[in-house]
Parts: sequence; C-alpha cells; structure tokens
Amino acid sequence: MNIIVGVSDMKVSHDIDSVLITYSLGSCIGVSIYDPVAKVGGLLHYMLPDSNLDKGKAQKNPYMFADTGIPNLFKAAYKLGAVKQRMKVIVVGGAQVLDQKGFFNIGKRNHMALRKIFWKNKVMIDYEEVGGNVNRTIKLQVQDGVSWLKVSGQQFIKI
Amino acid sequence: MNNIEAIIKGIDNIKPIPQVTQKVMAVAKDPLSSASDLADIIQYDSALTANLLKMCNSPFFGLSRKVDSIHQAVAYLGINQVVDMALLDLGNENLKQAQDGYDLRAGELWKHAVVSAFMAKEIANAKDLKDKDLVFTASLLKDIGKTVLSEHVGNYFDHIEKIITEQDITFREGEKQVIGIDHAELGALIAEKWNFSDRMINIIRNHHLDGGWDEEDMEIAVVYVADTLCMIMGIGVGSDGLAYRFHPKVMEKLHFRDTDIQLLMASFGEKLHEVESLVGSV
Repeated sequence: MNIIVGVSDMKVSHDIDSVLITYSLGSCIGVSIYDPVAKVGGLLHYMLPDSNLDKGKAQKNPYMFADTGIPNLFKAAYKLGAVKQRMKVIVVGGAQVLDQKGFFNIGKRNHMALRKIFWKNKVMIDYEEVGGNVNRTIKLQVQDGVSWLKVSGQQFIKI
Repeated sequence: MNNIEAIIKGIDNIKPIPQVTQKVMAVAKDPLSSASDLADIIQYDSALTANLLKMCNSPFFGLSRKVDSIHQAVAYLGINQVVDMALLDLGNENLKQAQDGYDLRAGELWKHAVVSAFMAKEIANAKDLKDKDLVFTASLLKDIGKTVLSEHVGNYFDHIEKIITEQDITFREGEKQVIGIDHAELGALIAEKWNFSDRMINIIRNHHLDGGWDEEDMEIAVVYVADTLCMIMGIGVGSDGLAYRFHPKVMEKLHFRDTDIQLLMASFGEKLHEVESLVGSV
C-alpha cells in the first residue's frame, strides 16, 4: 500500500506492507529515515529552510520548514519505537533553476538548513543526492528499508 | 513532410476554442456587460454549467451554502472569478491527460497550470497590473505546447539532456536545437489558432524569457515568476526538470525580495489541497 507524502507533509509507518512515497521534490527536500530493527520508516517533504519566515504557518504545518519538520519527523519515528543510532538516513531534492544564485537559491538553502540541524544533533547521512536542475521522487519500503529514487525522465533506481 | 511540419500538424488535434468560451472572454473585456449577461451566456451550455457548478462547490472557494445555478455563482463569486473558471474549464479539456514524453502523470501539467495561474493573478493584483486577466489566462495556457510536443520529446530526451549540460542552455533551447521546435513556440501557434491577442501569443512564446525581456512588460514578468516558483515547489515538474533560467532582474523590477518569494511559496503550499479539490472536482 502506497502512503503518499504531499508537499509540506510527513508520514511515519511501521506497517510492513506500506511504502512511503513523495513525488516531485523540485527545490524541496525529501528526508527518509528507517530503523531496520524496529522496522519503522518515516518520510518528510519540506519546502522552505526556516520557520522564522512565518511562525503561524509553522505552527499550523511544521512540515513546511526544515527546522520544524526534521525534529518532528524523528520524534514521530521514535514514538513508533525507532532508535536514533540505528536510523538509516537518506536526503534527496534541493534542485535549483539555472543561475539561481545567493539568497534566491531555495534548494541550496534548504540543504544547508538540514546540514546544520543534522550536525548539531549528530545525525549521519547514509545516502544523499541533492542539487542539480532535476526533479526527484523517492520511495521507502517499510518492510526492509529498501529505497528507490527516480529522477524525472528516468526509471526508479534502488539506492 | 519534414519532422517539424509533422509536429506542427499535431496542433490539428487540439479542438477549436468553444464558442461559449469566446463569448465569456468577450464579456469579460466589455466594461458595459453585467453579471447577468455573463450568466445568460453560460447557462445555455450545459457541460460548462455543470463543470462550473462543481468547481464553485469545491472546498477551494469555501462557500457556506451550495450553489446550484450560474446566476447564483456569479452573484457569490463575481464576474471575474466565474470568467476565470470558464477558462479553467478550457484548460481542463486540454491539459488534464498524462504527458508521457515529459514524464508527467495525469493531472500534473494541469495542476501546474492552475496553481501558476492563481499565483500569477495574486501577484498581478498585489502589484496592481493593468491586465490581470491576461496574466491569468497566459499562465494557465503557457505550457499547452507540451501536449503536442510530448509525443516526440521522449525520443530526443537523451540528446537534449546531453546538449543542455554541455552548452549550459535551457530545456526549451535544447528542444529547439534538437527537435527544431519547442513547447513555447508550439503553444504560441495554438494561441494563434484560437485567435488570442498578439500580446497573449507573445507571452506564451517567451514565457521562459529566453528571448530577452522588455523591462516595461510587467505582465510577462509575473507569468514568468509564477511559473518559476511552481517549478521550485516541484508542482507539475517533468523530465525537463528545473532546467530553465533564473532572472534576478525580474525579481528586482517587481521589488521581490527573497522573503517575498518564500512567503508566496508558503501561502500556495498551504492552498495546494484546496487547489487539488478544485481541479479534481471536474
């Protein structure tokens, strides 16, 4: 059963028949986490780097921003029995339009926000594919943690 | 018949613009016409009426009571929004299908069209542009050329990918170089077939601003910005990805700072569910 994670959305699951999937990341970032012992998976699709932009929106929907979405993703997985040290972490997305430089480069800033949060919280990334001008889709099988990445125009590949 | 002629021939499969839509657009332009003029035109077209009522009653508009006639719809939503919906219906006819050549699933190109049109209109209102309806319609229909090129572009994808990386050009420029014609140009030809204004045809042809930008033309600037933001948000993005150019000059002219852009993204990110309810209702 596919569980679709929309834009500014997050889902966790310990149902081994489920597959978490998020389509069309653009400059957004998809963070997938998986604990192989507890068989718990989580997938976040955030759009913007920093909730200081609009605290009200962040309160209503924490998954819109990196700094509110990422902690909530981990917490939701812990609730289902996942343990931080066992977590396999995948990060994809953060693409950019050609010549999109400096402050306007949302994809890059989304990625930098994540690096900062992970560094502070000592989270290691197991697989990362970010940047470029391509659009990406990711899915995670909760049964075994196998993940698939699709770049638009190409087939799904196992990562 | 050469390759380009064969592709252009594909435009013949696109249905002419319905008479009722033409009349609705004429009413929208005429300052003397009233809300009931508009309702009178629409109510004789049962298919359009049915679709408009479904859209009116979708959560997008959040009306507290059910609308069951076009006269009511015009009264509740106003002429402008009902005209926009008649144009949405035109887009719906033409953009809803999957575009396999661009690796777009059914509904994706359509969703991009609708979100970018509402976003463009919001910016046009905020900046008080002269021609807000033009901005809405052009945003909605700018990628219609993809429906014709989709059949062909897949065959050339690897070649296009290769040269856009090598030459640092946009996907549209890659289409033009490799296939001989691109989706924006085909869109302009469709707009010509539909007897749209020269202004509309030009916006559709140059909506990626590859052909340069007349800095006085704020309408095309807004169409461009809404398109770019939807790309960044990943809405209806296909195999062409984000391989289009960013023009900081446009942001400057519109007095858009980086936070303005992010706030627009946040606001439309929140509205995505409602837009989905609107486009899913017909």
